[in-house]
Amino acid sequence: MSNENSVMTKEPAKAPETKAPKAPRRGHRLGGSRVGHNIIIAILCVIWLIPIVWLVCMSFSAGDGMYVASFFPKQWSVSHYVKLFQPDTVNQFPRWFLNTFKIAVFNCIIQTCFVLMVAYATSFGKFKARKPLMNVAVMLNLFPGVLTMIAVYFLLREFGLTNSHFGLLLVYSASSGLGYLICKGFFDTVPRALCEAARIDGCNEAKIFTRIVIPTSRPIIVYTIINAFLAPWMDFVFAKMILNAGISSQYTVAVGLYAMLEKSLINSYFTIFCCGGILVSIPIAILFFIMQKFYVEGVTAGSVKG
Amino acid sequence: MKKLLVMLLCLTMVLSLVACGGNGDGKESNPLAGSDGTNPPETQGAQNPPETQGAQNPPASGDTISLTMWGAEEDQTLLTELIEDFKAAYPDQKFDIQLGVESEATAKDTVLTDPQAAADVYAFASDQLPALADAGAILDLSTVEPALQSLAGKTIADIQAANTQAYNDLATYNGKYYAFPSVADGWFMFYDGNVLSEDDVKDWDTMMKACEAAGKKVGFTFCSGWYNACLFYGAGFNTTLNADGTTSCDFNGTSSKGVKGVDVVKYMQNLASSSAMMALPEGGTSAAFTGGECAVIFSGCWDSSAAQKAWGDNYAAAPLPSFTINGTSYAAAPVKSCKMVGVNPFSKQTGWATLLAEFITNQQSQVKRFEQRAAAPTNIEAAKDPAVAVNKGVAALNAQASTAIIQSVGGNYWAPAASFGEQIAQGTIGSDDAAIQTALDDMVTGVTAPVA
Amino acid sequence: MSKITSAIGGFFGAIGRYFADFGKAMAKGDIFVKLSLIWWGAGYIARKQYVKGIIMTLLEAGIILFSIFFAPQYVSKFGTLGTVQFEQVFDVNTMQMVPNDYDHSFLILLFSLFCFVVWTVTFFICISVVKNAYRLQLRAQSGGHINSFKDDIADYFDKKFHVTLLSLPVLGIVIFTVIPILLLVFVAFTNYDQYHMPPAALFTWVGFDNFKSLFTSGGLTVSFSYAFGRILGWTLVWAFFATFTTYFGGILMSLLLNSKKTVVPKLWRLLLVITIAVPQFVSLLLVRYFFANNGIVNTICQNIGLTGLLRNWGLINTTYIPFLTAPIWAHVTIIIINIWIGVPYQMLVATGILMNLPSDQLESARIDGANKFQVFRYITMPYMFQVTAPTLVTDFVKNINNFNVIFLLTDGVYTTTNQMMANSQAKETDLLITWLFNLTQNYYNYKMAAVIGIVVFLICAVFTLIAFNFLISGDKEGVYN
Repeated sequence: MSNENSVMTKEPAKAPETKAPKAPRRGHRLGGSRVGHNIIIAILCVIWLIPIVWLVCMSFSAGDGMYVASFFPKQWSVSHYVKLFQPDTVNQFPRWFLNTFKIAVFNCIIQTCFVLMVAYATSFGKFKARKPLMNVAVMLNLFPGVLTMIAVYFLLREFGLTNSHFGLLLVYSASSGLGYLICKGFFDTVPRALCEAARIDGCNEAKIFTRIVIPTSRPIIVYTIINAFLAPWMDFVFAKMILNAGISSQYTVAVGLYAMLEKSLINSYFTIFCCGGILVSIPIAILFFIMQKFYVEGVTAGSVKG
Repeated sequence: MKKLLVMLLCLTMVLSLVACGGNGDGKESNPLAGSDGTNPPETQGAQNPPETQGAQNPPASGDTISLTMWGAEEDQTLLTELIEDFKAAYPDQKFDIQLGVESEATAKDTVLTDPQAAADVYAFASDQLPALADAGAILDLSTVEPALQSLAGKTIADIQAANTQAYNDLATYNGKYYAFPSVADGWFMFYDGNVLSEDDVKDWDTMMKACEAAGKKVGFTFCSGWYNACLFYGAGFNTTLNADGTTSCDFNGTSSKGVKGVDVVKYMQNLASSSAMMALPEGGTSAAFTGGECAVIFSGCWDSSAAQKAWGDNYAAAPLPSFTINGTSYAAAPVKSCKMVGVNPFSKQTGWATLLAEFITNQQSQVKRFEQRAAAPTNIEAAKDPAVAVNKGVAALNAQASTAIIQSVGGNYWAPAASFGEQIAQGTIGSDDAAIQTALDDMVTGVTAPVA
Repeated sequence: MSKITSAIGGFFGAIGRYFADFGKAMAKGDIFVKLSLIWWGAGYIARKQYVKGIIMTLLEAGIILFSIFFAPQYVSKFGTLGTVQFEQVFDVNTMQMVPNDYDHSFLILLFSLFCFVVWTVTFFICISVVKNAYRLQLRAQSGGHINSFKDDIADYFDKKFHVTLLSLPVLGIVIFTVIPILLLVFVAFTNYDQYHMPPAALFTWVGFDNFKSLFTSGGLTVSFSYAFGRILGWTLVWAFFATFTTYFGGILMSLLLNSKKTVVPKLWRLLLVITIAVPQFVSLLLVRYFFANNGIVNTICQNIGLTGLLRNWGLINTTYIPFLTAPIWAHVTIIIINIWIGVPYQMLVATGILMNLPSDQLESARIDGANKFQVFRYITMPYMFQVTAPTLVTDFVKNINNFNVIFLLTDGVYTTTNQMMANSQAKETDLLITWLFNLTQNYYNYKMAAVIGIVVFLICAVFTLIAFNFLISGDKEGVYN
């Protein structure tokens, strides 16, 4: 783990060193273009943030509707946030948040385990069925998931698992092993010499997996965890299908917020929808900021060899 | 090598099967699930219907009756109260009634995805009845008439007599009476009494001119076959739903009143190109009220409060204005429709489900619904209630009762009709007769297409 | 090409060997090996592997019970998909409906499939049991070591660790992906639609009728072939632009941000990443109202006179800019919105990859006097492309099936003015997948949805095959090991 860190800190530190000598040469020209360069970036960032800023504005505006005449609200208010936490028949945001959080945490655990397991088996395993299995996985990934939804629904219903969070969890996590490619790509870069050495020391495969490969794979684990954690917050198609009894307190955040935009409700709930959207984004954003470094590393290493 | 993998796979399958069978047994949502897998000998026994019946315990009045009901999001408070009233009406029986959210507009989609998992009692919009009935997802009420008779003391005929005939027609499909009408749901015209006078809104042309003069707009939903057919129907054109699910439509010909379809389209094009016309997106009426640009909006009772909020106490409602083609004036014919409450044929407690559905649509419930939700009653007596009768929206609905028609269309009608309206709104058709005729023919081809 | 033929040859060769081994085991094995074809435990118990023998016997018993008590009620009706129509009568005394013992076509199909999968697996277990028994016999004869149960367990954490690892994930995939997909394929050969919807009605096999009606004149709807062509075209255009705009956008963005001229790059990156943090359904629905006909963008455009200007130029004939409601406008807006959603993510990926860009190449290029564009064109891009080509292909396939973006942006907003499209319940902005969703959700045309689903799959498969064969040369996997 420690060598992982040092590698990371080394890279950026090295970069300026090599480029430093050149800076003075073009120094006189750089002044102007440097300002321009940063202005371009600033403009891009502003463009990218406009809708998000609008989301924030709408959530703090005193009015209700979604069709407002000005970008910034005429009156600011936190009343919609207050309403968000006062559950009524339509809005049960605190419950939805807990539901989704619960599903997300379990999905995180199962999906991460599955992905790591499949990735290890396909990257380190040396068995005959390895290639055929991987080819089958590629094929399966080509089928659009939405299409198989109805079949998945009836399967779950026969198991008595519709309208339960467990059923929804199964939908998210059960076939998550198919998303192993990026993780496998990362595992392919783990030096095999390390494993050989461990094997000579008498470690069995299970020990190599848990003691050697997992500890050196923090970036890809973080990447997998983030993705697994996010899925339940993003999906509404499957959630709407599985949680079809119309019991609002069972909903996940996505289904609940989506329902607020129904034509008969949108006028009174659009701003509350915005508040909900922001509150959901905050934990995800924090997660992202903390883990960004690993996330980048994980996805990079994975996609390089995936 | 793969042996254990395969072995585990299979073992788990078998295990999960046993487990699932167990679950299915506990959940009574599906008669098949209850008898599969778990206990084979029983399965064989259960193949005999009378035995199944004997095995199921008859609900003595001591047993709790579990029911589920779906209603619109905005009706939840009302429905909770009505459920309490229902329980109070049958004090000898214990109930466990669960209320879920499902908008009337989307009820069909959710119910048909899996009728066996749908609520015992659900509310839906009248245009969904054919699809629900075709798929066998709604109960023919005559099958449960004995229960209604013995416990609610009403026959189907009594219920029909209590409701306005038009809504009974909407609840009838292929000669069977399927649902309890609950809310008269047609659309009419809201206008701002501060801007327009009662005379201004009697005729489309006068109204458009008055709005133009006042710098206000007329909000009309062109892109929906529910709204945009009103001029066609008014001019004597017709649509019919056939037994095989297809729709007949004569919009591209000449109507029974001798009006050519092309002329109706031309009239609509004139309206659409007027600077006072504002084509609303589907479901955009409520937003149009808040927008503040419109002085006239075509919508229904569900927007009463929005209208009042936007225009104050001077908000007014009127039947659709008349329009003039080739010197003859015709009354525009809006679509009569209603919300109704149906019973799921796969309900475990069909009898009680029917009673619940009947109860939440009876006279008292409809009055209560009006008080809380400003929903126009379908019940004749409830409509006569003084508080109801003075409501502007209800008055407008009653005033246009003679011109409004029942729209009889199949599933293939909506998308082509919506597209046609949008083409008129955006002015993409062109103004010469030949182009309009082609466009009409194309639309009718789509509407009357066979059902694949 | 030769790669493919050799792959196919290898595949059949492997199958041949697999059965040859089985034949040899059956022919040359002793009585216990032969017996283990019928009684799975026999071979193991004969070699004193009692625990394993008992486990296999129990498993076999389980499968037999399953095949006797569970399977027949469904599999026996598989040929017809059920014949007994649902009927029920009302019992006034119980206040309940009494249904008959009806057939549920969908469940018959589903569980028959389930049984077939179980039986296929059983078949392979059976063969490997026999082969194993033979192997044990040979080992016993040659006096080799025969694993105790403990040894076997230890094996599953060492030599056969991959089996332990794969069993659960594969089980999950079989139940939640393979069986549903097989079901979809079977439904394509039935008449499952809103007039044949279980439980109230039965559906049955119709052979290739659905495929015929899809590809012969007429088709699913009056203007089906037209709509299908249009939608397929837009699906491919969309997938192309969605993939490449975000890809290049991400690279350019990361080059911009990582340039040494940038002040506080971390802050900029952080700001861009915020857009990833907002869940897609929130951000997409939000932008949909942002760009609505009477939304805030249109209000602003009107106020600054842009709308009037466009109107004067004849680009629009409405009082608003139809960002998401007119054909070309909506297509462009959707792609732009997708850039907004996708670029920050691609930027993160590109940042990571560019960090590994061999700096000696950059140096020598600079010394050679290459300008920035040349460096980008001849060094950065080839490197990026080489590294990310496989992900590009998967991204493309993902975009062909990108349900969320299209559905959330256009559902209930876009009304087509193309009568031919409308007559097929389609919109210009539909992808095959959203059109399909529409057909199943609003028209319950499951049979045609299944057929189109298969077509979508074939398109994706063909594309992936071509891409992997021509774009990506060789298998890089070994290089890194």
